[in-house]
Amino acid sequence: MGYNISDMIQGFHTALMPINLLFVVIGGFLGTIVGMLPGLGPATAVAVLIPITFGMDPISALILMAAIYYGAMYGGSRSSILLNTPGDGSAIAATFDGYPMAKKGQAGQALAMSAIASLIGGLIAVVGFILLAGPLAKFALKFGPAEYFLLFLFTLSAIVSLSKGAMVKGFISMAVGLLLSTVGIDQQTGVYRFTFGISQLSDGIDFLVVIIGIYAVGEVLYNLIGIDKLSSKGKKGVGKIWITKEQWKRSLGPILRSGPIGFVIGCLPGAGGSIASMLSYTTEKQISKRPDEFGKGAIEGLAAPESSNNAASVGAMIPLLTMGIPGSGTTAVMLGALVMIGLRPGPLLFKDSPDMVWSLIDSMFIGNIFLVIINILLVGLLVKILDTPPKVLYPIILVLAFVGTYTMNYSIVDFYLLMIFGIIGLVMKLLKFPIAPLILALIVGGDMEQNFRKSLVSSNGDLGVFFHSGISITLIVLTLLSLTYPFIIQWFKKRKKSADPANESM
Amino acid sequence: MKKSMLLIFGLILTLGLSACSSQSSGEGEKQYPKGNLQIIAPATPGGGWDATARAMQKVFKDNDLITNNINVVNKPGGGGEVGWKYLKNQKPNHLAINSSLVLTNNLLGSSDLTYKDFTPLAILTTEWEAVVVPKDSPIKSAKDLMKKLKVNPKSLKVAVAPSLGNDDHLSFVQAAKTYGVDATKLNFLVYGSGGDTVTALLGKHVDVATMSVSEAKEQYKAGKFRILAVTSNKRIKGLDDVPTWKEQGVDMEFPHWRGVMGPPDMTKEQIAYWDKKLSKMVKSDDWKKIMKNNDWEPYYKNSKETKKFLKEQNKMYKDLIDEAGLAKK
Repeated sequence: MGYNISDMIQGFHTALMPINLLFVVIGGFLGTIVGMLPGLGPATAVAVLIPITFGMDPISALILMAAIYYGAMYGGSRSSILLNTPGDGSAIAATFDGYPMAKKGQAGQALAMSAIASLIGGLIAVVGFILLAGPLAKFALKFGPAEYFLLFLFTLSAIVSLSKGAMVKGFISMAVGLLLSTVGIDQQTGVYRFTFGISQLSDGIDFLVVIIGIYAVGEVLYNLIGIDKLSSKGKKGVGKIWITKEQWKRSLGPILRSGPIGFVIGCLPGAGGSIASMLSYTTEKQISKRPDEFGKGAIEGLAAPESSNNAASVGAMIPLLTMGIPGSGTTAVMLGALVMIGLRPGPLLFKDSPDMVWSLIDSMFIGNIFLVIINILLVGLLVKILDTPPKVLYPIILVLAFVGTYTMNYSIVDFYLLMIFGIIGLVMKLLKFPIAPLILALIVGGDMEQNFRKSLVSSNGDLGVFFHSGISITLIVLTLLSLTYPFIIQWFKKRKKSADPANESM
Repeated sequence: MKKSMLLIFGLILTLGLSACSSQSSGEGEKQYPKGNLQIIAPATPGGGWDATARAMQKVFKDNDLITNNINVVNKPGGGGEVGWKYLKNQKPNHLAINSSLVLTNNLLGSSDLTYKDFTPLAILTTEWEAVVVPKDSPIKSAKDLMKKLKVNPKSLKVAVAPSLGNDDHLSFVQAAKTYGVDATKLNFLVYGSGGDTVTALLGKHVDVATMSVSEAKEQYKAGKFRILAVTSNKRIKGLDDVPTWKEQGVDMEFPHWRGVMGPPDMTKEQIAYWDKKLSKMVKSDDWKKIMKNNDWEPYYKNSKETKKFLKEQNKMYKDLIDEAGLAKK
């Protein structure tokens, strides 16, 4: 995959053509909007556009679809920050600190920071794409069932860090998530598990329905209990729109670290933005000097996952473009659309049509810069949502939740699930159970189980398969580190404390 | 400012609602079809069913074959089950894309619906199945592969997606059976999608994979894969040096077809309408172009031929599923 500087310049030439610029703008804007709405994700948006892309120049179609994809990464966190209801799996981590920031009256700064972090993460990933697409594609291939299982296990270890202070509740929440992930047809045997004869359940419970149910519906129900108090509470204030120097200083490190993490995880087919953002968040929390502020509105806790999920969306293009393998739901739809137009992404694409690849990469540069502008301009408008009286706002959220849920699978069964999970969400909030472990476990649970079993089938039951490669061992070490790290730190602190009795424990 | 917020929400709502307001339907009594037509793709966007539905929508519209508004409705779940169950209770202005799963779901015991519950309208396209190994694999030919499996059916890891009992899987079972391999003992690893099987084979996490030809083609052309055999009865255009199973002494042909069907009890006139429109559609240049881009091959059968074809296929699949040891008790 030799790169050629003139190809790159030629790519800019194509990407900067007025028509393609227009598509970047339209795609980015559309992506931002669908990203904001619960349930309506980039995959749906791209699918709806397929008939339009038919008649388009393949380069323009690719640029448009990619813009929707990363646009949605920008949009996804808007509702996380403002309403505590993520629009998509990859925006969950943005609720952890984004929503507390909004509550503290820093909504404007949270929105601005998330856009900037997304931009930097995106740019890091584009540079990574240019320099590393080939080797990373090869690296991703080394991930067999055992490595995937360990990656998912590592992701779950994040739960320890997510539920510090409420470890038991965190693990109960995770266990429920893992149980839910077993619903549906078992891939390896074709056996139906816990479907109760409902065919809609045969593909499992869509984690997006659970997200919308627990977060959006749960949040509305939770606030409904105290709605009169809420409306009298008056203005929360949105604070400044621009971030302060201090906030910037705190966030820069996390942003720069999370971009590459997200990018690499995005390259792995099947991992994607949810896992990337979650791992970046917990990494930052664990290495932070002020881990106690995480979850209470620490700006770096918002910046890290935002940088990471946007980088992951760029990374996801690598398996698509270099091998023709879609790494996520959205890239699968994109692949379908591109094939229809007569462009087949795959190992030969870089050789046969470098112009196309470079135009896309260059358009990502332009698109990210453009998106940060739209999103910062939108901040002033979006924060007005916080001024909307709850009696108006919550019904709207409910309607959006139902509409979004329906558009995912066009299934009424999902409405029941939505309501059930809304109530579960309410109960969890009332009893102060952390929600993220449940969602995270549901997202990775199914794949984790299948990969575990595939590993054992391929090794004829020998557990040694999990220690066979360097990647496996690295992942095991990381998992162990992440599990024990909080305790090690605590131990060190205690030792320090006994030396310095004035220090307050955590 | 509040007004503008309301405006935005209104806009968002309309957008959201219009995305799913495809339910309105006409009373197709006198003049068929009246009102909107719905093509149900019983899967999420991005796969062959969805692509077929959207291709039909596109060709009907662009060639003015049908002037009614046509919507594609995605009803994913249960390997088509959700979409087809939905179709069963719809008016005749609904069609659904199908494939062999409409037969095998029932044969495997996962669905009560059978192909007899619907009105067959046409078979449209087919793909062929391929058995693939990495380029540097010691297995050089389909014979090598089968010899090895005959000695020990468990000696090779075979990747298949997305479930046992589908065409990727059963075409391999048929080849094995025809050669005399004990198919119940084969070691299948089930991956989530065709893309995942390609990745698994590229990373050499499995020894062999069975997938549709279009999924294997790019890697084959890039020199990463060797295609041992394809299930067509003649060599495939563009893959002229890949032998068929037949040439290698394994007498079989295995299409991976896709078709279209309507709800039960469609009238003769309605069936005739679709025979006319669909036969025109498959002859159009637009359709041919989409087929070529997708690596689909023409396999058109009209409603009458389709009825007969489904019956034959059902028998063939029943035998295969018994052979694979997957039959319901």
